[in-house]
Amino acid sequence: MDKWRIIPFERCDSFENMAIDEAIFRVNRQGEMPPTLRFYGWKKPAVSLGYFQNAEEEINCEYCRDRGIDIVRRPTGGKAVLHGDDLTYSLVAREDNQLFSSDVVETYRIISGCIIRGLEESGVEAKMVEEGRVGDGSSEAFCFAATYKNELLADGRKICGSAQVRARGVFLQHGSLLMDFDPLAVCAAIITKNAAIEIEKLKASVSSVRKSIRDNIGIDILCRNIAAGFEEILNVRLTEGKLSPEEETLRDSLLESKYSSDRWNMKGRGIKSEH
Amino acid sequence: MSFPEDLLYSRDHTWVRIDGDIATVGITDYAQDKLDEILSVELFPVDSHVEQGEPFGVIESLKVTTELISPVSGDIITANEDLADDVGILNSDLYDTGWMITVEVRDVEELDNLLDAEGYSDYVDESEEIG
Repeated sequence: MDKWRIIPFERCDSFENMAIDEAIFRVNRQGEMPPTLRFYGWKKPAVSLGYFQNAEEEINCEYCRDRGIDIVRRPTGGKAVLHGDDLTYSLVAREDNQLFSSDVVETYRIISGCIIRGLEESGVEAKMVEEGRVGDGSSEAFCFAATYKNELLADGRKICGSAQVRARGVFLQHGSLLMDFDPLAVCAAIITKNAAIEIEKLKASVSSVRKSIRDNIGIDILCRNIAAGFEEILNVRLTEGKLSPEEETLRDSLLESKYSSDRWNMKGRGIKSEH
Repeated sequence: MSFPEDLLYSRDHTWVRIDGDIATVGITDYAQDKLDEILSVELFPVDSHVEQGEPFGVIESLKVTTELISPVSGDIITANEDLADDVGILNSDLYDTGWMITVEVRDVEELDNLLDAEGYSDYVDESEEIG
């Protein structure tokens, strides 16, 4: 039975969250690290942008600044997510790990299967999206406005959005599982063509854990159930761990040089050595 | 899947067209098929130095962002600016208008590390069996 590392749920600020994920990803590229599953939350609300997104054109930056909402750019692609009422996970593993696949979509399917098992145990009936991309393109900047093959639905509505980056034979997938969902807040922070219409669309197309089970559930219980889902589906043992000294050093360096900088978060495209 | 015979291929799924000491580089049909719909590409700027086996850019498709790995070492002479206007040619015309960069090759012996069309086709078949 393979042993994985699990880094238990912790709330960090947005910049630290991305620095930690990238540090795990980059250190894993240098040697034989066990696959690492991490759960985390956000100390204060933040919008995370996909690697290629244009902050000025796709995010209401002034609104975010006025309300103390961080804007942070992810190392992964995809569209923007408003974090706060969500449980975020990241998984780093080698592409050639026998449990995964060099095929991106298949890797999504495997990870989604584990999360579905954990959600099921938590009282959420989730299933995978079967088609390719589904969405009318009206709110293209927002991750939850469209679904992709093997992403997660509850009650037919998107409940978890994920994105992946691959480099040097290692992948990082992180995803946002909505605990609650506030379409008004999303449409205020992320630029939409017609907010009034978009709010109604999102109400109909996006779900959340608490909406689905019509009850409250603790983050700790949810994390435990999802971790157990990975153990059961993939037949692995998760052992609680923390960042290695090398990962901590890299986290601090990335935090200072990349994720705390407007150059990266607002402009992105830090081509050469950023990736 | 198409792998033209006049090109060389890397195991990182890029193709190379050699003309004197100039290498034109792009991604293979296998790569674009695996990536699915390509959304964005970011290339190192002209005059950057690239190394064989090291990144020369980043590409984003519907569900993954991944490094582009250079099949040759040398300085980038040109980068395809048309990709910024129509990245879809990476899916539709990747061996012609979908080229990405040209590189002035410093060490022609490096080309021995690349595969011909038949060798690359076999490599892809093996990857599929494993993956």
